Amino acid sequence: MNTRKPVAAALAIVGYIVMLVPILFVVATAFTSGSTLRFPPEGLSFQWFDAALSYAPFTGALLTSLQLAVASTFLALAVGVPATLAIYRGALPGKGLVEGLFLSPLIIPELVVGLALYQQLIITFRVDNWPVLLLGHTALLLPYAVRVTGAALAGSDVSLEEAARGLGASPLRTFFTITLPILRPGIFSAALLGFITSFNNVPLSLLLQSRESRTLPITMLDYVQQSYDPMIAATSTLILAATMVIAVIAERTVGFAKIFGGINR
Amino acid sequence: MNTTTPLRRNPEDHPDPQSAPAASFKNVSQVFGDFTAVDDISLEIPAGRLTTLLGPSGCGKTTSLRMLAGYSQPSSGTIYIQGEDATRLPPERRGLGMVFQSYALFPHMTVAENVAYGLKLRKLPRAEQDRRAQESLDMVGLGHLAKSRPRQLSGGQQQRVALARAIAVRPKLLLLDEPLSNLDARLRVQMRSEIRRIQGETGLSVVLVTHDQDEALEMSDEMVVMREGKIMQQGAPQEVFGAPANRFVAEFMGYENFLSSSDGATLTVRPEHLGVVPAGTSQGPLGGLRLQGHILDLAYRGVDVLVTVSAREANGREVRLMCDIRAEAARELQRGDQVDVVAPTASLIEL
Amino acid sequence: MVHPRTLNETGYIHEGNRMTRRGTFALLLLPGLAFLIFGFLAPAMGILFAAPGTDASEIFIRLGEMLTDPYDLRIIGRTVGLGLIVTAVCLALGFPIAYILARSTSRWGGVLLALAIFPLLLSNVVRTFGWLVILGSNGALGQLLVHFGITETPPQMLYTPFAIVMGLTQLFLPLAIIACYSAVSQVDAGLDDAARGLGASRGRTFWDVVVPLSMPGVVVAATLVFAGSVTAYTTPYLLGGSRQRLLSTELYSYSSVTVDWASASATAIVMTILVVLVSTVAARIGRKGATA
Repeated sequence: MNTRKPVAAALAIVGYIVMLVPILFVVATAFTSGSTLRFPPEGLSFQWFDAALSYAPFTGALLTSLQLAVASTFLALAVGVPATLAIYRGALPGKGLVEGLFLSPLIIPELVVGLALYQQLIITFRVDNWPVLLLGHTALLLPYAVRVTGAALAGSDVSLEEAARGLGASPLRTFFTITLPILRPGIFSAALLGFITSFNNVPLSLLLQSRESRTLPITMLDYVQQSYDPMIAATSTLILAATMVIAVIAERTVGFAKIFGGINR
Repeated sequence: MNTTTPLRRNPEDHPDPQSAPAASFKNVSQVFGDFTAVDDISLEIPAGRLTTLLGPSGCGKTTSLRMLAGYSQPSSGTIYIQGEDATRLPPERRGLGMVFQSYALFPHMTVAENVAYGLKLRKLPRAEQDRRAQESLDMVGLGHLAKSRPRQLSGGQQQRVALARAIAVRPKLLLLDEPLSNLDARLRVQMRSEIRRIQGETGLSVVLVTHDQDEALEMSDEMVVMREGKIMQQGAPQEVFGAPANRFVAEFMGYENFLSSSDGATLTVRPEHLGVVPAGTSQGPLGGLRLQGHILDLAYRGVDVLVTVSAREANGREVRLMCDIRAEAARELQRGDQVDVVAPTASLIEL
Repeated sequence: MVHPRTLNETGYIHEGNRMTRRGTFALLLLPGLAFLIFGFLAPAMGILFAAPGTDASEIFIRLGEMLTDPYDLRIIGRTVGLGLIVTAVCLALGFPIAYILARSTSRWGGVLLALAIFPLLLSNVVRTFGWLVILGSNGALGQLLVHFGITETPPQMLYTPFAIVMGLTQLFLPLAIIACYSAVSQVDAGLDDAARGLGASRGRTFWDVVVPLSMPGVVVAATLVFAGSVTAYTTPYLLGGSRQRLLSTELYSYSSVTVDWASASATAIVMTILVVLVSTVAARIGRKGATA
């Protein structure tokens, strides 16, 4: 860090402390042999990891969260990629409007979307919680699917597809042999981002949960409300480790700064 | 299309200039909203020749090429390929080969896979695909790079791969969209003769789009000069350069001096055909053109000097003439000198 | 002169069979549109007009009350106030980080950027939980203060606005850094040198050249952080408790504890308007900045 900018450097250090130190505290308390959340931790043990991994509400919720994240990511891509193709290659009238529509779930607060689905589908139409969760998460991920694959599509050369057509490929064949392989990194980024967004989501799932379908982050929130033991720190540490694995995969394949570059432009 | 024909034509087998055209446009227009990109053009592309579509950007040359390739369809008119109406055919059913300005090599395939792509779609046996791909790559001199990825190649090499990919399918027509515009100057000149050689060896009918008149003059058997969606002139390079049909074509071919003849027509003359002599002397050709004027500027260019003269025509109008004269002849001249601009009658071209 | 748009217009589509091609493309949009309409748009409209067992007039009457009732106004004010504070803090910390990272030539720059982005991948619950360990009554910060004799007993820090500000800053600082980073890295470093060459000090160069040219990124950062802060649920729930109620925690208790649909809808409307308003204003400022 540049020492000739003392004020900027000092603010930057404070920023990194605020971002990262709480995470370190979570990890440190996870290894305590004591039974309360206090610092410094008393002794070293893995007992809270054992506890977390054998605590049925957590393992059940983990399974629900994984299923929901995989299913909603798959659905969002399955409907999002064709839509992206139509938006960026179809020369349809009202392109801006359609694009805006697909990005609109980003603007409305997730808590509000959750309330909307709860009121209309679960209360009024008595739909089961699981399909509503899936529907909500898919709608939430659609903007990511459209934006990230859209950026990949916009960055690719239209004449690649034209060249394939000229060499004798039908539109369908062109899509599968040229367009899809070119979009693969973009689709992979969108999938990774979608999975993580769905897995970590709280505000949308909050009102849509039921006893049978409760996601891990919400189960953890409920647990913290009742008891303050280090099991939650152990669970958090496991999530942190899994997230780091995903970050490394992202960095090795598409470069993870790029994934997030797509969101904030 | 006959995919069993050899890539190289029989050298004995000269194209017959009287044979049916490789493609033709009949009253073709292309309108985008309130903008007419191509305005009712009719055109024949001779078989076995290299035809260039030449003009400034926005003249409709690329739009015409894309209509021929099937990437956009005319608003009206008919396009024939080898005598058959192809107006409504999608690109994949036209059997043409196209080289794009960006080369459009598939980044996820090797060079050999790129070249074999069209052959695979034609369901040729695998061995035949490989043989054909290798043959095409050898023809462009890149046989040794078959296993490379496009991004490992230089611009010039990518260009050659694109060319190999297009000729591997034995296209009815080879279409080149500004193929040399992304290359550096030295490579560009080299690729001109390379493309000519390949055209000669294969006997393919080639259509090349360019905005560079030198490129068109050097490479074409036939030139089509376009402007604002219309054809200004079509003919062999010698015809177009030697006798431009109008002022636009003349300017595009590098003519800079325009004069009025006594009967009101426009005359043009190339800068190197004009001479500059001191006013009132009898130097210069007898008869022909002689106009009085004064020197505005002298630009020394080594062997020659470009003299800008403000001259007065017979009708009293001031014209600015660019005279390209040899350096020795300009030694005595200075800015502001009163001079006569002279030219022999034979060098004056009536538009 | 000929129209300049010739080449742009010769798109992928085939002019002649445009109708059938467009039909195919329109078909590709349908599944996505269906998801958006049934999974998002139609239910969202329901908040305004058709909350269960409630009619639109009740919702609007409640909305009117909310904007006059002192209790509700205090919650709205607290939400907006905390949002503004968090936005200011995130910009004050995030811009210098973005500036240092964007101007860094060492390989540590890449590592620090990755460290700033990584928390975005991590669950908000996990990230916020760390503050319970630090700010709790047996927490690290309290014991530190006692240890150094600054206070005699650990002060109440959890369930205060301070805790919420810390938690939200941790959550949204990465967003601020990314938005500022992409703006600062587009400001040619040669301009810094030019200003220095003309006699500006390092500080002057920063305020006269770098900051004004990065304004669009700062506006984006501010919008993202503010919108995130006023709609966040996890952080105020864990760190604010029942004492520091915000719009988001109110919305949850209206809909799942007291089951007061009119209030829930009205709260949702206030929250949405707040976010949409700020985004719209920011977009306008951004556009003005781009043309200035």
